[in-house]
Amino acid sequence: MRFAQRISVRCSDPDALLELLAEWDAGQSRSEIMGYIGTRLLADRDDPGAYMILAEFAEVDGDITAADEAAGNNQREETERWATKLRELVEGEPEWIHYDELYRTGITGNLRTR
Amino acid sequence: MRAEGSETSVPSSDDAILIARAVATAIRPETGLETTQVSLLGAVIEALLDVRVDLDSLDPLQAEELAQTLAGYSDELRQRVVHLMVLGELVLRPIPPTVARRVAAYADELEINDQFVRIARRYAQGGFGLAWLDLHQSGFAEHWEMARMDQLKTTVKLEHQLAAGVEDRALADVWAAFEHHAPGTLGRGIWDMYRGRGFGLPGSIGGASPYLAQHDFVHVLADYGTNLNGELEVFSLIARADPDPKGFAWIATLIGLFETGYVADAGFFSGDLEERRLESPEMHSRIADALSRGRVLCDRVQTDLLELDYHALADRPIGDVRAELGFEPKSPSATAAGSPGAFDLAGMSKTQQAYSASLDT
Repeated sequence: MRFAQRISVRCSDPDALLELLAEWDAGQSRSEIMGYIGTRLLADRDDPGAYMILAEFAEVDGDITAADEAAGNNQREETERWATKLRELVEGEPEWIHYDELYRTGITGNLRTR
Repeated sequence: MRAEGSETSVPSSDDAILIARAVATAIRPETGLETTQVSLLGAVIEALLDVRVDLDSLDPLQAEELAQTLAGYSDELRQRVVHLMVLGELVLRPIPPTVARRVAAYADELEINDQFVRIARRYAQGGFGLAWLDLHQSGFAEHWEMARMDQLKTTVKLEHQLAAGVEDRALADVWAAFEHHAPGTLGRGIWDMYRGRGFGLPGSIGGASPYLAQHDFVHVLADYGTNLNGELEVFSLIARADPDPKGFAWIATLIGLFETGYVADAGFFSGDLEERRLESPEMHSRIADALSRGRVLCDRVQTDLLELDYHALADRPIGDVRAELGFEPKSPSATAAGSPGAFDLAGMSKTQQAYSASLDT
């Protein structure tokens, strides 16, 4: 079962937010494989300045759940450094909510499935 | 088994069988090997290791046994064996995590730390975006930083290997001058290919980058078509001809673009899943032959084919350039499998065919 971490923030500089996420992904892509598999940054159309970061996690070795992978990720120093940078960019304290994934359309949305 | 320290990259036929057994074991999904795995890997193993095997009927060979078998071989061979395994998993949709982990375990046992093993694991996780960043960074960007540039005949610096072309009048003039080379020369061949398909010249608006245009010289020299099957052939040859195993990035990218959908867009090509390209045994023979021809070029040229200065060879007859660089002819099996030549109508996409026909009317 996959796991998602929702981080809700208010921010006046979405470009900086985007840059922070892209920088994180670039670093993760060069590192050994872990539970983290990607992020989406979503802007609230009805509430300008409100953003949702959706970070996704999956199992790596089969005997550690995606949620545990995410928990392990939270303990890493680079994650803490990233969170510090995030707090510097946003207004107030980010809201962190954790989800187990129960359903996803298709396999990946882009893959050949036939 | 060879003695330790011999450091050869050419396995004996006995060891080649053991490699095939290990590949079949590593890439086998719980439901058994898929037809494409058996046919494609069988053809590739026959072309590269010179043994004919039925992967589906081989006895298993565990990672430890493979490591013992390959102990006396070079790092390069062990890495290329791992790439055979990665090729065998990249054609799966989706890649079962158990297969990706098993291939990683074989790589670990061989003491090969390979980015393509990691990329396949990311696919198996469903981390396609991160996998593309990994593939781009590990397979192309790092390679690009080390590549020489003077062969491209441009002073406009590209950001990365896969960057789109930009307007560069001086470069476009260099390419336009190929028209004046004698028929049968490499320069005229590349001109005819561009003109006959309506390709924009490098340096012109909409033209390919001078780096990616290098692969078009290989189309002419290797005599491969320019439809997507031809691109699979030409990049398989280029990938295996690269002395740096990172050349495997081309194969991983094109399979992702044109077969599985693991890569949506690579800048120079967009994904195209309209047809199944790796289902036919004919394409397996063609790709296997391209890899085999690439291996010969790797030994002879010892340079990434995309780093050669083809402009310096443009006024030479194509046959002479092929002979000088060491291009082998296509194998009878690839020809029998219908591999079209660079100027055959069958080697063009429908759009290219329509453009070509419009020139004749």
